[in-house]
Amino acid sequence: MTKYIGKSVKRVEDKRFLTGQGKYTDDIKMPGMVYAYILRSPYAHATINSIDVEAASKADGVVAIFTGNDIPESIAGVPCGWQVDFKNGDTMKEPPHPLLVRKKVRHVGDGVAIVIANSKAQAKDASELVDVDYDIHDAVTDPKAAAQDGAPLVHEGVPNNMAFDWELGNPKEEVAAALASATHVTELDFVNQRMVPNAMEPRSAIGHYDTAYDKYTLYTSTQNPHLTRLLMCAFVLGLPEHKVRVVGPDVGGGFGSKIFHYAEEALVIWCSKQILKPIKWTCDRSEAFLTDAHGRDHVTNAKMGFDADGKIVALQAHTYANMGAYLSTFAPAVPTYLHGTLLQGLYTTPKINVDVTATFTHTNAVDAYRGAGRPEATYLLERLIDLAALEMDVDPAELRLKNFIAPFDGVEQEGYVTQVALQYDSGNYAPVLNKALEMVGYEAFREEQKNLSNGKLLGIGFSTYIEACGIAPSAVVGSLGARAGLFESAQVRVQPTGKVSVYSGSHSHGQGHETTFAQIVADRMGIALEDVEIIHGDSDSVAFGMGTYGSRSLAVGGSAIVKSIDKVLEKGAKIAAHLLEASSDDLEYEGGKWTVKGTDKSVGFGDVSLTAYVPHNYPEGLEPGLDFSSFYDPTNFTYPFGAHIAIVEIDKETGYTKLKRFIAVDDVGNVINPMIVDGQIHGGLAQGIGQAMHEGAIYDDTGQLINGSYMDYCMPRADDFPSFEIDRTVTPCPHNPLGVKGAGEAGAIGSTPAVVNAVIDALWKGGHKVKDIKMPLTPERVWTAMQD
Amino acid sequence: MANKISVMVNGKQCTGEVEARTLLSDYLREDLSLTGTHIGCDTSSCGACTVHVNGKAIKSCTMLAVQVDGSEVTTVEGLSTNGSLHPIQEGFKEEHGLQCGFCTPGMMMMATDFLKSNPNPSEKEIREALEGNFCRCTGYHNIVKSIQHAAKKMQGVEA
Amino acid sequence: MRVKGKHEFNIPKQRLWEYLMDVEVLAKITPGISKLESLGEDHFKTHSQIKLGPVKSTFTGEMQVTNKQEPSSFQINMEQLSKIGNAHVVVQMNLEDLEEGKSALEFDGKANLSGVIARTGQRVLSGVANAITKDVFKALEEHIEEDNTLA
Repeated sequence: MTKYIGKSVKRVEDKRFLTGQGKYTDDIKMPGMVYAYILRSPYAHATINSIDVEAASKADGVVAIFTGNDIPESIAGVPCGWQVDFKNGDTMKEPPHPLLVRKKVRHVGDGVAIVIANSKAQAKDASELVDVDYDIHDAVTDPKAAAQDGAPLVHEGVPNNMAFDWELGNPKEEVAAALASATHVTELDFVNQRMVPNAMEPRSAIGHYDTAYDKYTLYTSTQNPHLTRLLMCAFVLGLPEHKVRVVGPDVGGGFGSKIFHYAEEALVIWCSKQILKPIKWTCDRSEAFLTDAHGRDHVTNAKMGFDADGKIVALQAHTYANMGAYLSTFAPAVPTYLHGTLLQGLYTTPKINVDVTATFTHTNAVDAYRGAGRPEATYLLERLIDLAALEMDVDPAELRLKNFIAPFDGVEQEGYVTQVALQYDSGNYAPVLNKALEMVGYEAFREEQKNLSNGKLLGIGFSTYIEACGIAPSAVVGSLGARAGLFESAQVRVQPTGKVSVYSGSHSHGQGHETTFAQIVADRMGIALEDVEIIHGDSDSVAFGMGTYGSRSLAVGGSAIVKSIDKVLEKGAKIAAHLLEASSDDLEYEGGKWTVKGTDKSVGFGDVSLTAYVPHNYPEGLEPGLDFSSFYDPTNFTYPFGAHIAIVEIDKETGYTKLKRFIAVDDVGNVINPMIVDGQIHGGLAQGIGQAMHEGAIYDDTGQLINGSYMDYCMPRADDFPSFEIDRTVTPCPHNPLGVKGAGEAGAIGSTPAVVNAVIDALWKGGHKVKDIKMPLTPERVWTAMQD
Repeated sequence: MANKISVMVNGKQCTGEVEARTLLSDYLREDLSLTGTHIGCDTSSCGACTVHVNGKAIKSCTMLAVQVDGSEVTTVEGLSTNGSLHPIQEGFKEEHGLQCGFCTPGMMMMATDFLKSNPNPSEKEIREALEGNFCRCTGYHNIVKSIQHAAKKMQGVEA
Repeated sequence: MRVKGKHEFNIPKQRLWEYLMDVEVLAKITPGISKLESLGEDHFKTHSQIKLGPVKSTFTGEMQVTNKQEPSSFQINMEQLSKIGNAHVVVQMNLEDLEEGKSALEFDGKANLSGVIARTGQRVLSGVANAITKDVFKALEEHIEEDNTLA
């Protein structure tokens, strides 16, 4: 019986946010707190000749100033959490990423000095008095250009700026042979442009060293406090982990950018020990543009071959992936294991090869951003197949339906084994597309498109995607280079009065865990939602956590909770059996009580809880208490999928493109809270559409980010979007107890190519046979494409 | 350097000294500890810091604290009275108009002022009114619905 | 950021050259320049105030005139530092005689910007740079006219 699961339960976390009582890191004040400002390099590539802090030290309110040379050599810098070695077996190039630069700055925004003062304004004022003498060098910003001979080098000892190269799938010769035998080959060179994540809360960190307990506390805007603690203690500062508490309080959005362990976190902790005061650092938006790890930035060439029946026979992809100046926490995994492995898509393509070269450039680090690798893979596949349909003059929806993998549930039918190292869990792909076609009114649309006479062009674009979520089986990712496990932990603590506290390692920063997780607990335990509290984000209360990213919270974190609930109920049954003088095998649990089957003899959850803590009349040999921890390590990724359709209208005179409709049918497995899942889809769609139409970081050839503010970077606004039309199908995940697949990234993964495809479709129908327009699709670019 | 100001904030008279360059947003957050007003940018673009000054929605990072001397300021903390949620707060909760909650106070302060001048707005009008407020979580879809929900509720209450 | 343009003057290039090489004239016609100190031959220290939209800042830096080919061409190298960012500018100036005693000054160069001015509003800066350049030439024209009237 489910009272809560599957229902749009209103969020329990909302009240504090609606009344201004949310507590984000920058809202926290401590007695004696001082404020830090980080002086950053204005140059992309320069040698520091000298830093003079004398004038700044004497400025009003200044407490301390540290430069790179003040930090001991033993503190090498922030580490990378994933190792991808070269094809020839050579180790990945992993140059140090110092907390503050000592000699050479490698991107605009590289930290040069930290100025600590009694107020943020004083710290900022004083930083302007720090005199840094630089020798400026040439810079390289494009990932392909960086790999060419003679390009400026980002790091000594990294020839051609290559961090690693990597290949997956069938041998290249086999793919080439299949392409040679194809009746049609579609080839595309394209750029998946660099994105700035732009969580609305700028990053913030408070470091506090408490002399009384010899203990450090870090409050930080993070998606995973435990991972941050582990990386900072073990690999950066060499601190005893049990003497460090990391808290991720309310966090104002992450989208990937707050997964990573950042230099500023270690810096405020280290500085707080030096000056014995709590230190707060909160970045400005301009600083966020320069230093929050960016996303995407791939330069790709890809070929897809078809036989005479329109079946895909082969796919070859070559990608240059920009790593930025340093390897961020998960950066090497993004263009490889989160991108190359998804190139099977929903199709039966028999031969696939993907080749990736990852390069350093004089730009900010690039890492996971909503979707992380999977949007790039989807963009590659879906642009190719839509373009192929235009080139071969066949219907793009039919071409997809012809190539879809047949349905399999992962129970009766085996999971589908791809050419690129994955086994899909369960899938039924035609229904999502058919449902989307029905919603859009496909035949009527094509008629309208043909008969248009208002000086506009109409276009329709498709995207049918798959993603790998629920990250991830530890042993699998370990064999692929991950330096951490990717399980999740949960503790279910039943209090003596029968109220339940759940400690989850999955951090919530907008996803609504405090509601969704409580729905699961309340239903499984047969108690009221109000009697459950979800606690997360504090390493002193939660045992351990791997955090929130890769659409994993419910599939992995939720499953860990289920495991603990099962343990509670199993022990509860023993206590109940004792109280009912029955065998626990004869009991059934429903509606919050254990009943002896076929009788009206029962005992409630509250009585059993109390007995567990007041064990006077108690089973012999059984420990008191009702409190269980579990670690859940998934056996496979989960594979959500869906079909997205965009309809655009282009003004022929100006190139102005209006997104008229957006239809998304997603299959994320079972759904616990439809309202929250819909909200996740909406947000993802906006970011994916934002990439297609509005956003993109632009570096000039000297390595300056020339649109590093909200006046220059086009953040999507409310009137850039229509109301989204969304629906779903449900194909349960066969390998986790909830049957869920994850919904956080779907919108961002599927939507981008649908929009671009729609614009290309409109242009072809208007007689302009262009293959590609660079994203974002500004009116100027669309107009230019129509002039050929 | 210090300037004495006296402001009525959420119905309470607040008197204090501020530097001439202190922004209203910083004054509210740092001096009055009203941290529901958020700062999301440094170019007056994002709207997270929107409050009401004398009943009108303004981005509090575009005003100096000294400019509100003698004015009435309402922040998100002053939106609900007598313990029950304001219709706009109710709308955001019912329609899932918030996820991370960071843009939400600014969104609600903007929307309440907007609904005063346009109590029965169309979807298009709402979307245009939201131009100066960024949200990265919701894709604005449910924010629009939340404001529609509040509009209906407020008309019902006033009718 | 590229700066490029051409301006015509009602005097021959030899006289234009003389004006351009006169430090006091330069200081007078360049908007925002409050001071031009000599650091040696063709090498100056500059103090200027420049307003870019809502942002105003004081720039200090050095300017050097190099590759002088009297009266046909020279190069200006400038490094300007400020709280809102730095500019490194190299501009090639070519002077050319036209008919009827007129001459033309053609300039082509590159300004590398860094700091806030690089990432905020750079897309509109070439417009600003062109406006400043126009002001410079207009001021020079006016100065020449004034000078000639006095003479």
